[in-house]
Amino acid sequence: MRGLRKYLTPFAPDQSGAVSVLYELGGIIVICDAGGCTGNVCGFDEPRWFERKSAVFSAGLRDMDAILGRDDRLVAKLTDAAEKIDAGFAAIVGTPVPAVIGTDYRALRRMCEKKTDLPILAIDTDGMELYDKGEEKAYLELFTVFAKEKYEVCEEKVGILGMTPQDVSDLKAADKVREELKKEGKEAICYGMGDGLEAVERASEVGKNIVVSAAALEVAKYLEKTFGTPYEIGYPAAGELVQDLDYEGKKILVVHQQVMAEAIRQEILRRDSSAKVQTATWFMMKKELACPQDVSFREEDDYIDLVKNGGFDIIFADACMEKMVPDFQGTFVNTRHFAVSGRLCE
Amino acid sequence: MAKEAYYCTVKELNELGRDAIPAQLRSNTHLIYSSPATLAFNSPGAEGFGVKRAGLAVPDSIMLIVAPGCCGRNTSLISSMREYDNRFFYLMMDETDIVTGRHLKKIPKAVEEICNCCEKRPSVVMICITCVDALLGTDMERVCRKAEERVGLPVRPCYMYALTREGRKPPMVHVRQSLYSLLEPKKKKGNVVNLLGFFSPLVDECELYDLLGSAGVRTVHEISRCKDYEEYQTMSEANFNLVLHPEARFAAEDFHNRLQIPFIELRRLYQTDKIASQYQAFGRVLGVTFSDEVYREKAEEAVAKFKEKRPDASFAIGECMNGDPFEMALAMIKYGFKVPEIYGTLTAENFIYLNQLSKLSPETKVFSNMEPTMLYYDPEKSGVNMTIGKDAGYYHPEQPNVVWNQDRQPYGYAGVTRLFETLLEV
Repeated sequence: MRGLRKYLTPFAPDQSGAVSVLYELGGIIVICDAGGCTGNVCGFDEPRWFERKSAVFSAGLRDMDAILGRDDRLVAKLTDAAEKIDAGFAAIVGTPVPAVIGTDYRALRRMCEKKTDLPILAIDTDGMELYDKGEEKAYLELFTVFAKEKYEVCEEKVGILGMTPQDVSDLKAADKVREELKKEGKEAICYGMGDGLEAVERASEVGKNIVVSAAALEVAKYLEKTFGTPYEIGYPAAGELVQDLDYEGKKILVVHQQVMAEAIRQEILRRDSSAKVQTATWFMMKKELACPQDVSFREEDDYIDLVKNGGFDIIFADACMEKMVPDFQGTFVNTRHFAVSGRLCE
Repeated sequence: MAKEAYYCTVKELNELGRDAIPAQLRSNTHLIYSSPATLAFNSPGAEGFGVKRAGLAVPDSIMLIVAPGCCGRNTSLISSMREYDNRFFYLMMDETDIVTGRHLKKIPKAVEEICNCCEKRPSVVMICITCVDALLGTDMERVCRKAEERVGLPVRPCYMYALTREGRKPPMVHVRQSLYSLLEPKKKKGNVVNLLGFFSPLVDECELYDLLGSAGVRTVHEISRCKDYEEYQTMSEANFNLVLHPEARFAAEDFHNRLQIPFIELRRLYQTDKIASQYQAFGRVLGVTFSDEVYREKAEEAVAKFKEKRPDASFAIGECMNGDPFEMALAMIKYGFKVPEIYGTLTAENFIYLNQLSKLSPETKVFSNMEPTMLYYDPEKSGVNMTIGKDAGYYHPEQPNVVWNQDRQPYGYAGVTRLFETLLEV
């Protein structure tokens, strides 16, 4: 049945993706919810919450706020917080409740801008899309608002777009990417993972961008159009995701977000070009990144059927998917995807 | 910008009174800061026994969460616990479902499908719905009846409405009603009592079992100790219910109205003198006199033993633990310890403790876990050297912490004994 899940818990939703992009940037993040969504983000979907404090707040909506559409109360609460908290911006992140009552985010942004001096980001996530959609919206909103000035280009600097724990499933991934680029004499600017709001404002000075998640492709295109910054797609630290196995002539399935899956495919083929590698994803699949045989999953049965009928020798996927195919006789390589299982690489 | 966490002293709060609680300590007037305690308070499915876990308290039950994906996301934290393996299922809603309500038609078929894939036939299917259906005004009772007809099993709604968190009937009250709504009328037995309020058992050594035994009670039922659905059904044989948590009051009233089982309410306390008074009053209602001296002595010995080791103990007490932080703070002060800070959600009911605290320790500071300036909380000059509660541990990572939010419920003198034994260990 469409939408029925028997094995997997739901994946990270769009509001978690949006928060993931903004978490380290020093803003007031207001999740426009009754509390449950914020609990989900902080207690589960944002692994950095356990390590460092951030100004993530719930709007604390109650039934009458929603029924009567009391946006003015939210504006008053946000204004009050802006007076007490030292922040570079405020972001309003949507959830199912405002989606149901048809909240006008642009109006909300204008109302907040009139009351505070802070730049306001309004991200109309609804909790029904997946994390990458929320990331895409957040990246576009963030760079549109803050990356305005054209700086002189520094070729050594490389912008990394799409770097969030949801996508790379490793809190040390930014450092690993920095190390990889350092070997080439480049300096990696990992937006949202180690590099803050100032780096976003100076986005035009990087020599090129590397897109590590399909969610960041649109913002890379925006930066190319606005500042002429070229972009590449790939994951510089993909080498460590591929184990030393015998890949000769093997049929392999890789399940991850599209860019990461492609990076793993390329790494396997680099090690043994006789392997036949198919990628698949539960998340957004950009046409310009896809190969003809790549697969997009929607329901659990899509994955189960592909594994049953695909004749794969090796599967690279998050461990939570292993129990879905108990009859699989090949090698299952646990390739963590935080947005799927909520677990980081060990 | 001050960059300081807002607080009031208990003296100030007591002077202001229950009708003039400062806005900073009222959660509906400001944005809600995301501290660990907030997760448990604000998000009815997130922590400990939230709605999702509580909804599966009936033995052999399963749950279908019908909601946007985001509402079911953190369930994997619970489903990774062995006792919840293969008990959670999801029917994810999309935008079209919200506009058309078509997801409601899919529920009976989804219930059938999940029942068919279970190795053992479930005893009951709980349908958990969230804020979205609260706003849509979904009649889930009706949908559950349709599903019952299809699968021939009890199907019950379970409302995880964070939107109603501060309403008359919040989610954790509702879920208790749902759980006991499955009981069928049975012939009463004079020596059977139910304990209502918790989703896990009291600590085994709790004196309440012995005291009830001495009053002629032969069987004490707790939902979490029921081995199977048949045993759970014997809860309707009870002579009376003991309500140990105020959130079970509505469920107890249901018992009274539907099954003619009356109830008596007892509080969880950490002051041994008040525990004694409560047992005396309880005994009077039953027409017996409880001999609780042995248990009281043991609890007070544990307090004395700890005091001997840590006479300088100076506590920060949070709300993210098994107790009322204001009552526990009062107990600690009465035992001769210091309590410089309390992190709690102030309600009119707490003023009975605030009143006494203001006389014994007027400078004790009260913080709200939910107030935005808690982002700037600084433990440096607090004078705290020990913490109780997950939230208190979060604010004072350098000090020894007793989390005190275990599933097994501490209660009565046994709770006091265990608390001080645990404090002795850290």
